[in-house]
Amino acid sequence: MKAVLFLLAFAIGLFFGFYPALHKPRPLYWRILTIIILTSMIVLALFPHTAGTFSDAIVNYRMGVKHDIPVKIKLLPETKIIENHQVSYQATDFTGSTIKFTVLFNENRTDLLQIESASSAIVLMHREGIDNSFQAGETVSLNPMITLPFIIGLEERARILYFHVPMSWIAVLAYIVAMIYAGRYLARKNIRDDITSSSAAALGTLFCLLATVTGSIWAKFNWGSFWNWDPRETSIFVLLLIYAAYFALRAAVENEERRARLSAVYAILAAVTVPFFIFILPRITEGLHPGSKGDANIGPVLSPQAEALNPLKQIILSLSFAGFTLIFFWMLSLQIRVKTITMQLLERHNTNER
Amino acid sequence: MYDFFANNALYVVLLVTLTVWLGITVYLNGIEKKITNLEKKILE
Repeated sequence: MKAVLFLLAFAIGLFFGFYPALHKPRPLYWRILTIIILTSMIVLALFPHTAGTFSDAIVNYRMGVKHDIPVKIKLLPETKIIENHQVSYQATDFTGSTIKFTVLFNENRTDLLQIESASSAIVLMHREGIDNSFQAGETVSLNPMITLPFIIGLEERARILYFHVPMSWIAVLAYIVAMIYAGRYLARKNIRDDITSSSAAALGTLFCLLATVTGSIWAKFNWGSFWNWDPRETSIFVLLLIYAAYFALRAAVENEERRARLSAVYAILAAVTVPFFIFILPRITEGLHPGSKGDANIGPVLSPQAEALNPLKQIILSLSFAGFTLIFFWMLSLQIRVKTITMQLLERHNTNER
Repeated sequence: MYDFFANNALYVVLLVTLTVWLGITVYLNGIEKKITNLEKKILE
């Protein structure tokens, strides 16, 4: 299902990306579609609460995590016992397990009846002495419609996935588009292809930078510092340097035709390194980034294991892929048209001067 | 004020992200209109 959803997202993104043609205005329906897809992605990615299981709370406790974690529970009111200023219930955590866990609440709690009557509730928990006994903290949500899974070690930071991963994939897509149009320029010598190629490379570098910045912020809170020279960070840094050299090359050559020809050859050579730096190198070396050598899988997005990404996350990520692809093509179209207008005005100005 | 942000961190992030996205949308739409007008003028 994951592969189908992702392929569908890319198909939608690419179809609407190239339709209408890149040098034509984006129609109103096109812009509305982009806005709807990305807005729904943002709401789905950030609105639902994260909810874990009692097993997650036990593992967190054993790992030495001190703070409470959110657990989605259903209390069994018939098991209610009041003793020592505490109210205890037996509860289940929606994992399908037959094991009943004991949840202890403070007797003075005002929302106890609401939690008791709710079909489900997300409550902050920590393990209390033994593995099947938990002390309840604050209530996060009552009867939540949808929840995101709790990921041990990542917790709320897992939400970066819906922004960071599509950004880096769009960088790859942009560099491939730059390569294709660079090849077209060399074949047809049409300056419009050079404009498209250089615009795609510029946007690819923008998305690559955004992926680096979002990844770096995530690294600060997950690994302890903004930059760790992890193989993934090193490879993206090298990639940014390669494309920085592309723009330096373009800036250094004044003759339009020569600049287009040289940068087209460079864009093709640079794009050849992209799959290696994005997909291969970080996976064959030991590192901190998910999907590195020694990790349980090749990363949550590409892993063939179904449990690596739950269905809701697959839907959000698909929306994100489609939305980011559309916004990339929108920006690409705008940049191509601006450069074309500038070129036309310059030509007109030069003709008038003669 | 601090308590409000601490207790509603998720909604604050959602609101900020939606505001940024709204800003980007308005900006891109504005450029789209300006470029379309320019293209029409150049064609004329």
